[in-house]
Amino acid sequence: MSVNETPPYELLGAHNLQVNLGGTTILRNVSLSIGPGERVAIVGPNGAGKTTLMRALSGAVPATNGEVILCTEPIHNLSRETIARSIAVVSSDITLPFATRVEDLVALGRIPHGRGPAGPGAHDRERATAAIERVGATHLQHRDVRTLSAGERQLAAIALGLAQETPILALDEPTAHLDLRHRMEIADLLTSLAGDETIMKTKRTIVAIFHELDIVRDGFSRVLLVSDGTIAADGTPAEVLTAERISGAWGIPLERAARL
Amino acid sequence: MRARRVTLLSLAALVAVAIGAVGFGVANIASLDVLAIIGKSLFGLPVGGELSAGSTAIVMEIRLPRIVAAIAVGAALATSGAAFQSLLRNPLADPYVLGTSSGAALGAAIAFLVPITGIAWELGGVQLAAFIGALASVALVWRIAGIGSGEERIASVLLVGYAVASLLAAALSLVMLASGANLRAIFGFLLGGLDGVTWPRLAAAALPIAIATLLLARRGRALAAFLLGDEAATHLGIDVRRERRVAVALATLATASAVALAGLVGFVGLVVPHLARLAVGSDPRAVLPLSAIGGALLLLLADTVARTIGVPVGVITALIGAPFLLWLLHRARAGYAL
Repeated sequence: MSVNETPPYELLGAHNLQVNLGGTTILRNVSLSIGPGERVAIVGPNGAGKTTLMRALSGAVPATNGEVILCTEPIHNLSRETIARSIAVVSSDITLPFATRVEDLVALGRIPHGRGPAGPGAHDRERATAAIERVGATHLQHRDVRTLSAGERQLAAIALGLAQETPILALDEPTAHLDLRHRMEIADLLTSLAGDETIMKTKRTIVAIFHELDIVRDGFSRVLLVSDGTIAADGTPAEVLTAERISGAWGIPLERAARL
Repeated sequence: MRARRVTLLSLAALVAVAIGAVGFGVANIASLDVLAIIGKSLFGLPVGGELSAGSTAIVMEIRLPRIVAAIAVGAALATSGAAFQSLLRNPLADPYVLGTSSGAALGAAIAFLVPITGIAWELGGVQLAAFIGALASVALVWRIAGIGSGEERIASVLLVGYAVASLLAAALSLVMLASGANLRAIFGFLLGGLDGVTWPRLAAAALPIAIATLLLARRGRALAAFLLGDEAATHLGIDVRRERRVAVALATLATASAVALAGLVGFVGLVVPHLARLAVGSDPRAVLPLSAIGGALLLLLADTVARTIGVPVGVITALIGAPFLLWLLHRARAGYAL
């Protein structure tokens, strides 16, 4: 879908969103609208507010002003469980205090769908296994998460998000700490995941924070440039990632920005 | 499923050991007679055969309350330990991590100095003082560390717990120095023991223990999400602030009641949850119920040894628990990560 078309309905949106944390304004004047099946990359310098934007879009921090819309509803009207069945947020560093098999970790993604004190049932196990298979990590399913390499752990984290069976998959720096090959593999996986049909009968929406502009240019149809607490540009990679904008946002010389 | 099978097997083992333990002692009573005595005394079953009044008294007035107490205390400590380990994401957390033990010890020590006699003693004045001390110390840690505020940091919760415990331990030392003839009684409380548990005292502690432990064992879903940290738990649909408050409150109530009844029994709450994880993996929904059963079983076995050779049960749990912990850590080095 092209960026300028109106999405069929608002899956994820922000309207004049402002977020203050500890008395400091982290985000202001953020408005955006994301539809089903979009692949959206969030880029910007450290401290610009990318992670806070993702936390606000997933209801982890409240809006100080304005509002966030999730699946056509204002997010503050939704229960935590409903939010967790709509948007899965994949962390870039999973740490566990105890030895835990990959299959048991991924089964934790079924928590928003569960009820009562019993552990994951047969259906949850099946969904977890399918998620592990989808990211190509079946050979890892019995391994202790804490013994995995950075790339393998990222696959497990994505499988955990997939097991949540949400229409939106959000990822905070899924390629952090990865080498070139693993970065490419994760980027390709995300492109492929966006083609899947979700339980809401629409294509999966992917929203991910990146530092590597090459991945964004190759694999994403839309880029949000976050700079100084607001969205400085929103469009296709060709529109947003110009030498001028890169130079301005990251504060680097124009001739070097032109080579990125 | 494996977790369910292991849990049911442990439960069967606990029932069998409990029946055996009632019969075991200086006066040995056959298991069938034990069942007959319990059936006749508690449920009025028309049991035939010869049941001596002596055996009935030993079973009903001495051994049974003590065994039920061991089961309740063991279950409470192990379940609370498992909950705190998941909640604080720390394998070294035990039920006393928020200062429960030092608060209880100080409360009990003060109670030993105050001459309590008659009815207050019968109802367990020392137990009540220990219970109040435990709750007070956790309330202090809770307040300073801001548990449930949403702003708390796990490291600072642990540090505040440690600081409060150290302060209370210093106060306890002062009380012990001033205690004179009561030093032995205070020391006995610190070692932990189930000598002389009576039905009234048991009932006062067992009710809060049973309620808190059963409720806590059903909070596994939230505690499972906590394994991934607060942020991830939020994204899994868990109300982190509320669930942390509920879990800390339940674990504290169970632990404080257990300490009031049995003194400071160590290692059960630290070691049993790790054993449970070895058997069924790290998901608290499996670990909590199995820890409850395993804690009951371990303390029952330890107390049976303790009363046979005449030492406080806390000494036995430390003698079993500490080497076991060392073995676990050795295994961790050899490949199994704790």
